[in-house]
Amino acid sequence: MKTIKQISIFLENQRGKLSDILTALKDQNIEIQAASVADTTEYGILRLITSDQVKAARLLSAKGNLVNLNEVLAIQVEPDTAAFADAVDALTNGGVSISYLYTFHKDGKLVLIIRPASLEIAERVAKEKGLTLIQGWE
Amino acid sequence: MNSKYWNEEIETMPRKKLEKLQVERLKKTVEIAMGSEFYAPRFKELGITPESIKSVQDIKRFPFTTKNDLRATYPFGIKSVPLDKVVRLHSSSGTTGNPTVILHTQKDLNEWADAMARSMYCIGLRNTDIIQNTSGYGMFTGGLGIQYAAERLGALTVPAGAGNSKRHVKFITDFGTTALHCIPSYATRLAAAFLEEGIDPRNTTVKTLIIGAEPHSEAQRKRIEEIWGAKAYNNFGMSEMCGPGVAIECQEQNGMHIWEDNYIVEILDPETLEPVPEGEQGELVLTTLNREAMPLFRYRTRDLTRILPGDCPCGRTHVRLARFQGRSDDMLIVKGVNLYPIQIEKILMQFPELASDYLITIETIGDNDEMTIEAELAQATDDFGMLQNLTKEITRRLKDELLFTPRVKLVGKGVIPQSDGKAKRVNDLRNNH
Repeated sequence: MKTIKQISIFLENQRGKLSDILTALKDQNIEIQAASVADTTEYGILRLITSDQVKAARLLSAKGNLVNLNEVLAIQVEPDTAAFADAVDALTNGGVSISYLYTFHKDGKLVLIIRPASLEIAERVAKEKGLTLIQGWE
Repeated sequence: MNSKYWNEEIETMPRKKLEKLQVERLKKTVEIAMGSEFYAPRFKELGITPESIKSVQDIKRFPFTTKNDLRATYPFGIKSVPLDKVVRLHSSSGTTGNPTVILHTQKDLNEWADAMARSMYCIGLRNTDIIQNTSGYGMFTGGLGIQYAAERLGALTVPAGAGNSKRHVKFITDFGTTALHCIPSYATRLAAAFLEEGIDPRNTTVKTLIIGAEPHSEAQRKRIEEIWGAKAYNNFGMSEMCGPGVAIECQEQNGMHIWEDNYIVEILDPETLEPVPEGEQGELVLTTLNREAMPLFRYRTRDLTRILPGDCPCGRTHVRLARFQGRSDDMLIVKGVNLYPIQIEKILMQFPELASDYLITIETIGDNDEMTIEAELAQATDDFGMLQNLTKEITRRLKDELLFTPRVKLVGKGVIPQSDGKAKRVNDLRNNH
């Protein structure tokens, strides 16, 4: 499957928690490419795309964090709102339901990280609609 | 009803005579309990017969009875009379295993109503009073127990039941209720409901509150009295002994007289099960003397208290128990609900999403007990909705179990403090004593 790995870390709402995680990654020279936080007043989920997901997941887990690795879709489009909108339209018209989405810029392009209800359906639809799927970076 | 006492002869009976009455009733109770599949073989083994009982000291020959015995013999294993003589049962929620079932004959119900009526009379309630009960009517003895007693007293009794503060406010206002039966935390909540309607509770007709079923401090009582401009009396009962009506504070408000014509009172060291030195704190152990469907001998209440020394100026000779100082087991009383941490643990363990660590924190927020349960997640997820639904579902299941809604907080690894390598399960920050 043409997907990429995403790390999710459970965050208690505790002072210094996020900073501890970032410091740990920095110390190991792991680069963060994209981050997204979903939160309530009590806890949150930090989702990360880094330069080395497996290493980052092991590291953070060893530091006592609850870490989850899962597959998400990464779609590369032109860095403008029109292209963003077209990609989302193409997916939703094709019957893909999106659980969450976040974006980042890389190499002059916009990358959409998408967690669909079903990866298989989403991948198929993305291919049918001619969207560019990314499978990791060099 | 001009007397100071409901039953002067019994309430002021000289100690010697009272003990003689206890011996008589203990003999009678043993005779009844010979009909119990549970007690008969035990008595036989220990050589306990009605004739062998000479003094109250003979109580030491009896075996103890525990809540576990009640569970193990669920539902009718301890009964001493045939079921056709039994007219009512009350039961605990049974959430920690089998419920505990308590049976009553008509005579038991009459004696119970009389004892609680005596307790009401003791705090100055009369047949001219209008008594409103805020306890739930059902398996909980605080409903029917108070109802029958107040009727027995001859008071106009309002079985308003639990919850719905607005309706309580209306009834109190419309009926001119003079006395309320409630748990201490509800007394303050109901006062708040009055204030919301723009009525100062001190301007209502309520002059007496019977409070119990929930540990509370002297300071809490004073505050209740202040906000209501009324007297609040601590009332003690437990369904195993009948229900409310076991002991009550008299108007001196210094310790609860326990009705010794109905119970033999022992204060024992919970470890050695030997009597503590006079006046010292220990576990309250009770033997019923006036019950027939299901007499209980040396029942371990697990409540820690002591007997107050000296005579009470009210003239009653029955000993006074100090405010309860906690439990000899890990039972918690929150919002009037008796619960054990294991109940919460059992629910949490049903969720594969959770790891094994949890912490129950109970604190007083405003006038209420609030419980927060921190539960450790077993693994992370990228799915935020899943965590929200998980929190909701855990809360719902706990509410079904506890009958109140705790706050559930998911936490990560290592957040729950460990002490001596053993997880601390309960953090009770209330100031009850």
